[in-house]
Amino acid sequence: MAFELKKGLFAIDEMRNVSIKIGKVIDEAEEWDEPMGPTPKPGILELRKWDHKLLDRFEPFYAPMSDYCNLCTMGPCDLSMNKRGACGIDLKTAKARLVTIACCIGASAHTAHARHLLDHLIEEYGEDTPIDLGPDVNVEAPNIRTVIGIRPRTLGDLREALDWAEKEIVKVLHSVHIGNEESYIDYESKALHVSMADHIGMEVADIAQIVAFNLPKAEPDTPLVDTGFGIIDKNKPVIVVVGHNVMYSRPIMEYLEEQGRIDDFEIAGLCCTAHDMTRVNAKTKIFGPLSYELRVIRSGLPDVMVSDEQCIRADLLEACKAVGIPLIATSDAAVRGLPDVSDWPVDKIVDALVSGKLPGVFLPDPEKVGQVAPLVAEAMFKKHGGDRKYRFFATEEDMWNEINKCTQCMNCVFTCPHNLRIDQGMAHAQKTKDLSKLADLQERCISCGKCEQACPKNIKIINVIMSAGFDQLYNRTGKTRVGRGPVQDTEIRNVGQPIVMGQIPGVIAAVGCPNYPDYASDLKVILEEFLRRKYIVVTSGCHAMEIGMTKDEDGQTLYEKYSGSFDAGGLVNVGSCVSNSHISGAAIKIASIFAMRPLRGNYAEIADYVFNRVGAVGFSWGPYSHKAASIATGFNRLGVPVVVGPHGTKYRRAYIGRYYKPEEWWVYDIKTKSKVNIEPAPDSLLVAVETKEEAIVQLARLAIRPNDTSLGRQIKLTHYLELSQKYLGALPDDWYLYVRSEADLPLKMKDELLHILESEYGWKIDWSKKKILEGPIRGFDAGFNPTLVEEVYEKYAGEKPPQ
Amino acid sequence: MAVKKEEKYPVARRYQVADIQVSRDATPVKPSVVVNLVKKAKHPVLVTGGKLLKEEKLVEYAVKFYEKGIPIIATGGSSKPLIERGVKPQSIVFPLHYVTQFMLDEEWQGFDGKGNYDVVLYLGFLPYYLSRMLSALKHFSKITTISLDEFYQPHAKFSFTNLTANKEMHYQMLEEVLNGL
Ligand code: SF4
Ligand code: SF4
Ligand code: SF4
Repeated sequence: MAFELKKGLFAIDEMRNVSIKIGKVIDEAEEWDEPMGPTPKPGILELRKWDHKLLDRFEPFYAPMSDYCNLCTMGPCDLSMNKRGACGIDLKTAKARLVTIACCIGASAHTAHARHLLDHLIEEYGEDTPIDLGPDVNVEAPNIRTVIGIRPRTLGDLREALDWAEKEIVKVLHSVHIGNEESYIDYESKALHVSMADHIGMEVADIAQIVAFNLPKAEPDTPLVDTGFGIIDKNKPVIVVVGHNVMYSRPIMEYLEEQGRIDDFEIAGLCCTAHDMTRVNAKTKIFGPLSYELRVIRSGLPDVMVSDEQCIRADLLEACKAVGIPLIATSDAAVRGLPDVSDWPVDKIVDALVSGKLPGVFLPDPEKVGQVAPLVAEAMFKKHGGDRKYRFFATEEDMWNEINKCTQCMNCVFTCPHNLRIDQGMAHAQKTKDLSKLADLQERCISCGKCEQACPKNIKIINVIMSAGFDQLYNRTGKTRVGRGPVQDTEIRNVGQPIVMGQIPGVIAAVGCPNYPDYASDLKVILEEFLRRKYIVVTSGCHAMEIGMTKDEDGQTLYEKYSGSFDAGGLVNVGSCVSNSHISGAAIKIASIFAMRPLRGNYAEIADYVFNRVGAVGFSWGPYSHKAASIATGFNRLGVPVVVGPHGTKYRRAYIGRYYKPEEWWVYDIKTKSKVNIEPAPDSLLVAVETKEEAIVQLARLAIRPNDTSLGRQIKLTHYLELSQKYLGALPDDWYLYVRSEADLPLKMKDELLHILESEYGWKIDWSKKKILEGPIRGFDAGFNPTLVEEVYEKYAGEKPPQ
Repeated sequence: MAVKKEEKYPVARRYQVADIQVSRDATPVKPSVVVNLVKKAKHPVLVTGGKLLKEEKLVEYAVKFYEKGIPIIATGGSSKPLIERGVKPQSIVFPLHYVTQFMLDEEWQGFDGKGNYDVVLYLGFLPYYLSRMLSALKHFSKITTISLDEFYQPHAKFSFTNLTANKEMHYQMLEEVLNGL
């Protein structure tokens, strides 16, 4: 046992008023014996070389939303055609700066969330609270190990990781100041850096809440909870929580459990707080994602709303006021102009809200929220006696009056983010009394409310759409499997090899927001294609709840049809936004548990490993938040490509490679000690697709990795080719690029494909042996050991890399 | 319904009121101008998008362009109905995002190896998705982009005016372009 007393103050007996503070106590027996890697707690520069490797290959693509910049008072500046502004910045670099700012926002959201949570939990439970993520998780905190170089054992240890993340976010934010960075590539490197920090922030937050709140610990069989608009028993007081930080709503559940009254209430959530509430207590329910916020409020269903932070409508108070629902705002990130009532007695707060003296209050004291919310809900319920207007108009006539006001001016269509044809729905209803065209908009509308402000007739368009499609909306319910948190080490041990070799054709990680381009239920169609084909599907956040409300003809959601194991054909809900760190963590754990690569402070090697070997692809079908930007960019730095829906183009930046430039596709092969030209796999790190058909094919395509064995490549190509034929009507244009030998070819199509290789691509085939003699970019080599990183090459090859 | 005079066309109204422009809005064009631009092009191409999966008429028009000798790059799954009607697209697997990235590269030889395209026609896209791609090409390339969609596309070099209120007029204009080719 050794004490390290470097930091701190000492005092001797006689001295008074002196406190003893010991910087850190390290128990030698528990010291982590993994040697420290090259980049613990990296600054902006330490991983820049890795970023440039990626960015050389995946040239950033910029699609400006606006031609000008007005960030500072020298502007506004016209940057069109890549002109420079008064500060000297050109359009591309200005867009890269904007992306960096977006990633900073996303990373700070999770990191501040983590800080809030961690400080609170340390105060409540003590800094020595051990990090125990269950018996099947020994490699806990893989992101923190890899980036920070520590193995956190207690809540207190997490501070070190969080301190680092906060520092890096500030440094990157500094770089976006006018005049700092001149190169768009270096801005991208900073965006990648701050997004890696985002995964640290997320990991800290989720580990802290799992440990302190006793959330499920990597269990595949978590309970199923009700999900969707029509899940609520209207005969009980209804408490609705919205946001991303369960710290404020957990006391509500605790209080009601203590009182033995939890079954007398309905507690449902919107957005990620919903996930985390169900992780705390599976008696709570999931209403839906952000796009359900106005739907739920305008239905008049909640008796009280509790908001915390992030992804909440910025007109929440207005919306609640309009239907008389009292609001309790809790997080300092979203005070909403409300009076702080922290030091008021509970009765006084309840009275102010129930009487309507105050439309809402700011109450940042979680324990008090726990008492106030149920009391307000109950009193409000008593007031209306259970006779809620669980509808959008008082009478049908009211709805028709609205519809009949429409003149088909189309102002709404031109402001709707999806350009939904509200005018046509209204016209059809006016002419035929048939609401079906309006009803059809229900699932495609994100209830943003922009159309209503554009409408010169002040039509309550959302209410019209939701009333017209009420049955569909009400009946779109199902079950979501409660977020499980991390993936077990044992699961990784079982699937590590088949993933790296390619026999499990890929891991599809469906995460993100509800800004879907078309019907929300398309998401389920896309994911089921992969579940049937034995890919591993991982999900979280809004995507995870969307598939919890989309049922099959047999009334089942995907969660009921597929197991919750991290295994071929499994559907894993990790949980909320911050649980995304377990998905990046799982990729890292493959490198560690299966391949025994050291994690500690060793980011570039691990990212390089994941990039060349782990066929994981991120998928965000409805991206919109800044957090989605930083989550995706963090995955990109780790070598995981991400496919986004068409709205994702509005992030303005993509990373897309050029398959036709052979000089850009190479690796060092540690086995043959040579530089090898390779197939372009994957050939993009971030790309937006337009349709679900396109999404499916791209996901299969981007799961191909240079390290696939012949059997693995054969399986991956089989899916890629089949899906292309099914959805695109023919073989994909580029399939031959991925063929290294005849053994890579899908068995059923082998002859046909050999013929095509010979006749269309001029490859030489030995037909007696059905062998490819000439043609591929490279042959298959069982010992192929690829890396892009010189230091990794040197470490394993024992010499400098070849030129 | 015959569309002959330009004054009959609806105004060029952005598909998205908040899509702010500074430097250059697309010139709203009538079919005859499109015909001239395509005829003068050295290496024109038609790029089709996912709307073809929902609007049969657009497939018919794309097929006619193909029959008039305009090659097709099919994106968004639009290849499927086109291939079923005998079209051989130059590419089917690359989303518009990729295609645009390739077009931004002056060294790119096109999918047919004949060099980068100089005049690119677009048909059948989600307006906001196409808009971003047109913006990239506007700022960072010399390519002439022409949107043939029903929503006026401000970032294109040339665009049909806003035809959303009148599908027949949109079809009629596509018809007129084809007749002129
Ligand atoms: S930041 Fe630069 S480009 Fe932007 S407004 Fe200021 S001077 Fe102009
Ligand atoms: S509320 Fe719905 S219909 Fe209205 S603008 Fe938003 S998405 Fe479009
Ligand atoms: S803006 Fe109002 S009046 Fe105009 S088409 Fe839309 S709903 Fe009708």
